[in-house]
Amino acid sequence: MNLNDCHNFNDFRKLAKKNLPSPIFHYIDGGADDEITLKRNTEAFDKCDLIPNVLTGIDKPDLSTTIFGRKIDMPIFLSPTAMQRLYDPEGDKASARAAEKFGTMYGMSTMATTSIEEIANVSSGPKLFQLYIHKDKSLTDDLIERCKRANFDGLCLTVDTIVAGNRERDHRTGFTTPPKLTLKSLIEFGIKPKWVFNYFINKKFELANVKHITDKGTNITKSVIDYVNEQYDPKMNWNDAEYCIKKWNGPFALKGVMSVEDAKKAIDIGCTAIIISNHGGRQLDGSVSPFDQLKEIADAVGDKIEIILDSGVRRGTHVLKAIAAGAKACSFGKMFLFSLAAGGQAGVERVLQNMYNELERNMLLMGCKNIKDLNNSKIKFRK
Amino acid sequence: MKLSDCHNFYDFRKLAKKKLPSPIFHYIDGAADDEITYARNTSAFDDVDLVPNVLRGVENVDLSTTIFGKKLDLPFYLAPTALQRLFHYDGERAVGKAAQKFNTMFGVSALATVSVEEISTMIDTPKMFQFYFHKDRGLNDSCLERAKAAKFDVMALTVDTITGGNRERDLRTGFTSPPKLTLSSLFSFATKPMWGINYLTKGKFELPHLQDYVKEGTSTNTSIGNYFSTMLDQSMNWKDAEKLCSQWGGHFALKGVMSVEDAKRAVDIGCTGIMVSNHGGRQLDGSRSPFDQLAEIVDAVGDKLDVICEGGIHRGTHILKALSLGAKACSGGRLYLYALAAAGQAGVERALDQYRKELERDMKLMGCAKISDLNRNNLRFRNK
Repeated sequence: MNLNDCHNFNDFRKLAKKNLPSPIFHYIDGGADDEITLKRNTEAFDKCDLIPNVLTGIDKPDLSTTIFGRKIDMPIFLSPTAMQRLYDPEGDKASARAAEKFGTMYGMSTMATTSIEEIANVSSGPKLFQLYIHKDKSLTDDLIERCKRANFDGLCLTVDTIVAGNRERDHRTGFTTPPKLTLKSLIEFGIKPKWVFNYFINKKFELANVKHITDKGTNITKSVIDYVNEQYDPKMNWNDAEYCIKKWNGPFALKGVMSVEDAKKAIDIGCTAIIISNHGGRQLDGSVSPFDQLKEIADAVGDKIEIILDSGVRRGTHVLKAIAAGAKACSFGKMFLFSLAAGGQAGVERVLQNMYNELERNMLLMGCKNIKDLNNSKIKFRK
Repeated sequence: MKLSDCHNFYDFRKLAKKKLPSPIFHYIDGAADDEITYARNTSAFDDVDLVPNVLRGVENVDLSTTIFGKKLDLPFYLAPTALQRLFHYDGERAVGKAAQKFNTMFGVSALATVSVEEISTMIDTPKMFQFYFHKDRGLNDSCLERAKAAKFDVMALTVDTITGGNRERDLRTGFTSPPKLTLSSLFSFATKPMWGINYLTKGKFELPHLQDYVKEGTSTNTSIGNYFSTMLDQSMNWKDAEKLCSQWGGHFALKGVMSVEDAKRAVDIGCTGIMVSNHGGRQLDGSRSPFDQLAEIVDAVGDKLDVICEGGIHRGTHILKALSLGAKACSGGRLYLYALAAAGQAGVERALDQYRKELERDMKLMGCAKISDLNRNNLRFRNK
């Protein structure tokens, strides 16, 4: 199996599984508790039907949309995700370059393994920075200042991670950052010698944005669960969010909003966008899926704030359904991470090309010439 | 397993799988993306229950219905499908003869492997020609004229294929027309030697309606998705459809209408029928199933043109449910294609006979003597 055999999510996932040591694969692949929400995130789309129009005479649909003040060429972008250099030696650089090539947004995590400045050097495309508020407040100011200097377009504050989710696969595999070679995991790493080779010959693994503040996760091995629980500030509240907005003074989103009430508060404190997300089912298992919740939020606040749908997106038709229900764009994590692990930058480019093809094909089949044509009248929900 | 072991859709499918090289089987069997819509096309029927009436004294059942001005002995017909001689060497000849025997409509695809002329000398029962709007206008005119000269009763313009669907099984198997022997497909062709012998000895593979105009599909290998995307005119619009409708000058249908809005426009441009269809789930995955959408469309236009429910039909009761909602008839492709692959004309006849028997039995159990006895009082929707 190689990259050319990858046509969909499951293909990329399969190839990623082949390439990655199992603790790392399961860190991407897993969700919280029984992974009910992880599963529902994608299944939710199946209860919604698209209603196409025929004979509309469109030659080439326009897939562009505007988020965080930047026009992007397709309504899906790369969610900020942690530690990408574990999946490919180039990590965030590969993702950022691929995103720029397709004219879409690259999202960078606070927990990235490449620095804000390095990414600004390799990509002039649209960029979003994702912020975790650490107990050490000086880190927040520092990150915001650096993003400003590096000309990032938008900032999003993750609000669904004040404690770590119970990712049981990580308990079992002993996944840590940086990876720790225990007796148990040794075998796993040993059977992927190419990964181990790349890990050791390439630049040292580090949490590039936070390493000057904390050794943990870079020099001191930590499970992600322990890192989150020790380092993130569980007392984070609406005032802290408002503080970040003022400090940033640009397009700003809360990532992980799931209720109409919170969406309204987000408007009140000055957010320009919200990312409806349950962290890919990795935090609160049993929580509602973003797509199930989207319409209610869009009906309430869709005219006042940009809505981005995250979690569970695997197909072009999922994106079309989300836009018809009121989103401006979608983002995805797992799917592009598997493609990154499957083939580095070429892998991410392939997944974006597949998505582009699917979106264009399905817009034609829907009879829609641009994404504004997608509205409530194009979908129907089944019970 | 042999033909006499085939009692339902799934049995024919199993036998077809045994007979066909795997790329060809999966071309029939597969659908777009994750095949969610393909599955829903059938499971939609399960969300509706039939409510029978008893003691009605139903001894004889009349299954006949009239669509496009033609009386059919059965309330369903054989939807036009492409490339039938790949599934059995007799192809359209077998299917047409079986349709005639049961006096139902035979749909012939623009991508058929037997010509309209040959079919019209072979059978005198109702015939429909299915038309793809090509970029090559000469080809379009030729198709229309030939179908007219061959006295076809109905012209159906397919409107849900302006670009090819993402049929991932075909990407994996490398299915093309004509079949190409790649290293990866060689094994599956080699394991079905009878298919190979028949393909090579029973007459050259042709697309008689197209091959004077385009090489793709006959002398140049192409996937069907690619054919749609490159050969058909993506800018096709309502004006083009209206022009074709008046150029044809007879019963004219749009195949692949899924919205009320489009159904109303079909009436406006002079159509006498529409097929509510998503192309058997082979085009836009995630789109609504015909049966889920049927009631709304019948309510809007059912008194102005013939509404046909197409796709997902595996059972006589599925047909009864669609007719109860107000469809004039049903149609399907896979419902006879597996049978064709399983045993040629005898296979299609067996499948048609089983559907006829199921319909007769189920009409009696419903307490209905004729199609017009079926109505929405016979149905209960579970989720309403």
